[in-house]
Amino acid sequence: MSSELEKSRASIIKDVKLDLISSTAEADNELKRAQLARTFISDTITAPTKEMYAYGVLATLGDDVYHEPSTHALEAHVAKITGKEAGLFVSSGTMSNQIGLRTQLMQPPYTILCDHRAHIYKYEAGGAAFHSGAHVTAIVPQNGHHLTLDDIKGNVIYGPDVHFAPTEVIALENTLNGTIFPQEEITAISEFARSKGIKMHLDGARIWHVAAETGTSLKVLCEPFDSVSLCFSKGLGAPVGSILVGSQEFITRARRIRKLFGGGMRQTGLLAGCAAYALSNNFPLLPRVHALARKLEQGLKDIGVTILSPAETCMIFYDAPSIGTTYDEIAERALKLPEPLFLGGSRVVTHIQTTEAAVDDFLKLIADIAEEKKKAGFVKPQVNGDGKYHDVYVRRTH
Amino acid sequence: MGYHDSGYLVPMSPNLEKTRASINQDLKFDPLSSTYEADNDLKRAQIARTFISDTMTVPTTEMYAYGVHGTLGDAVYYEPSTIALEAHVAKITGKEDGLFMPTGTMSNQIGLRTHLTQPPYTIVCDHRAHIYTYELSGVAFHSGAQLIPVPPQNGHHLTVDDVSRSVVQGSDVHFAPTQVISLENTLNGTIFPQYDIVPISEFARSLGIKMHLDGARLWHVAAETGMSLKELCDPFDSVSLCFSKGLGAPVGSILLGTKEYITKARRVRKLFGGGMRQTGILAASVAYALTHHFPLLPRVHILARKLEKGLQDIGVTILSGAETCMVFYDATSIGTTYDEIAEKGLQLPSPLFLGGSRLVVHIQTTEAVIDDFLELVAGIAKERKKAGFVKAEMNGVGQYRDVYVHRHWSISKSK
Repeated sequence: MSSELEKSRASIIKDVKLDLISSTAEADNELKRAQLARTFISDTITAPTKEMYAYGVLATLGDDVYHEPSTHALEAHVAKITGKEAGLFVSSGTMSNQIGLRTQLMQPPYTILCDHRAHIYKYEAGGAAFHSGAHVTAIVPQNGHHLTLDDIKGNVIYGPDVHFAPTEVIALENTLNGTIFPQEEITAISEFARSKGIKMHLDGARIWHVAAETGTSLKVLCEPFDSVSLCFSKGLGAPVGSILVGSQEFITRARRIRKLFGGGMRQTGLLAGCAAYALSNNFPLLPRVHALARKLEQGLKDIGVTILSPAETCMIFYDAPSIGTTYDEIAERALKLPEPLFLGGSRVVTHIQTTEAAVDDFLKLIADIAEEKKKAGFVKPQVNGDGKYHDVYVRRTH
Repeated sequence: MGYHDSGYLVPMSPNLEKTRASINQDLKFDPLSSTYEADNDLKRAQIARTFISDTMTVPTTEMYAYGVHGTLGDAVYYEPSTIALEAHVAKITGKEDGLFMPTGTMSNQIGLRTHLTQPPYTIVCDHRAHIYTYELSGVAFHSGAQLIPVPPQNGHHLTVDDVSRSVVQGSDVHFAPTQVISLENTLNGTIFPQYDIVPISEFARSLGIKMHLDGARLWHVAAETGMSLKELCDPFDSVSLCFSKGLGAPVGSILLGTKEYITKARRVRKLFGGGMRQTGILAASVAYALTHHFPLLPRVHILARKLEKGLQDIGVTILSGAETCMVFYDATSIGTTYDEIAEKGLQLPSPLFLGGSRLVVHIQTTEAVIDDFLELVAGIAKERKKAGFVKAEMNGVGQYRDVYVHRHWSISKSK
């Protein structure tokens, strides 16, 4: 072999090599964990713990496009506890929902019915139209909290009128904005859907919270649905992943669609192991997360803050203008605290890594600001309700 | 039954503590068998004897020990190790930015989708290309694009002659203009000569057509030829590279291009459901692979060449040569079938795991395994000869034959 070739190879090897672990990696990650404990922006930011990694790295080494034992076992386990026949591990909740819908939808033209606040409608980059060519009917629930059978009946499309694209799927979300969809209403909607041959899909990214809060089994919660999407990477704290569950036939078709989407990952044993760790060790922590969210809500109410959407599980939405300030001001001041807090807009999310001290510090900050504004002459206006729809989720670019 | 705080009727389990404990119990899940360590050791030993694909390469304990120190950000927002990886690979390939993807399929599909502006449009590629044969009509599904799959006249790689005859241009309304030319390097493990890529790129750029490279195994070209990744990637507007194949990382690929292009691709990635969260461990595992596994590739190619020579010595017809990590051979040329070879391979004291006509050597393949495979094939060839088999003289009837014969195989579900 020519020394010329040897030299070029050595040069490429030098260019390609990469060391991402700095000498301060351990300290950096400790700092990050401390910051996550004080981050209210989302629960997707929850980080794997050392214990979770120590467990996850022991999982199997198969290739998930062919056969990966830990991943397969995880799919079977979640299918079993949700009362479905099979499951499919995917890289994200968005993929899970979009593949779920795509696999349910048979032949266009068709419509998907959902809540206008639904993730599949607002936060999946136009997915239903892009992946499935589906029209989406996004309903504003009359009670402002959850869709009812009445809402569904008023918007569902079926029948021979050629002007319209028939509803093929009703997609519900539980929790939505952290609120719990009453199971009785879900059951009524499901009975109606089934009587019309319409499929039912659940975006259950945070369904775990419903089970933990109400003590209702996942099987009962999922029974009204033909397909369910659940997330591991949010409140449960796993690094990556969601799962789609449904009938064996449905999941077999979904598996091919997953490859089409580019979701056929390889050695996912590590990720499945982390999800298993989360189910065993983190799921039981959820009731405490909800208690913290309720403490947060009560604390805000005591300060005089208007609550836009209550702490039924792990989220609360509040109105900054109700104490004369803005979300930007609150967030900026939070960053300047001796121990910073990391805030988004109107939504405040507690998670398994949130500390009580962080909640107390947040309430103190709000109380201080409210006091200042009052001193400066701010008076909370009487709200009569002008009937105008108001999206509780005010996002802040952060 | 009770009212939840929200005022809506939500059945609250009357014995909440008990039902919660029961649900906790149901959810608990420990997939680690009591023999997990031995299972994984066995798996590693089996991977060393697997010629089916290099996607099966497994993370080592050293890789994991390094990987767990990756950062803990959320890649939809800001994940430092992942961003550092993207910047590094962009730099060494001479591109402005990169985007970490869960798979090569997603990387290619998003790569193409992000180039295409307003249908109708076509994409020209080799008829053996992964984007045409193994991505489930992805470009039709994701982009509404028609692929023009071209058989290279020289049977090895596309030339500017092949491409210029196939691209669609002009104002005739019958036709969908070509917006992208997508090449693949390596393809079936063979190296696309850079001296034929450059003229295609010049041709494309003269017509405002974009160039995409499926470089899933481009690392092998760099390692084999000593050509820098930058030089290999220069003729292309976008490049897709894989980490989970020959480099041995558990998950991932990367798409590279201009800053503007990658910014658009990032949104498309979310749309595809590729926005993963704490990918620090995956990015750090990749960094480990780039540092420790990339230098192992030349040895992989030497083993592949040994395999090819050994088969030739037995009298086996080689369908596609060992230019990097793959060899395609013709089982019928010694009077047997891929099924027979594979079944006999499984029955060996130390089983071999084989697919169809394609043999893939990877960083976890041992030399002993090559020897065992050659011994197996030699044994079968000898048997057939004794039984009267005579290798047919091939005159070449000009019929096109796909060198890649797949065999339906399955890995035992118990492992």
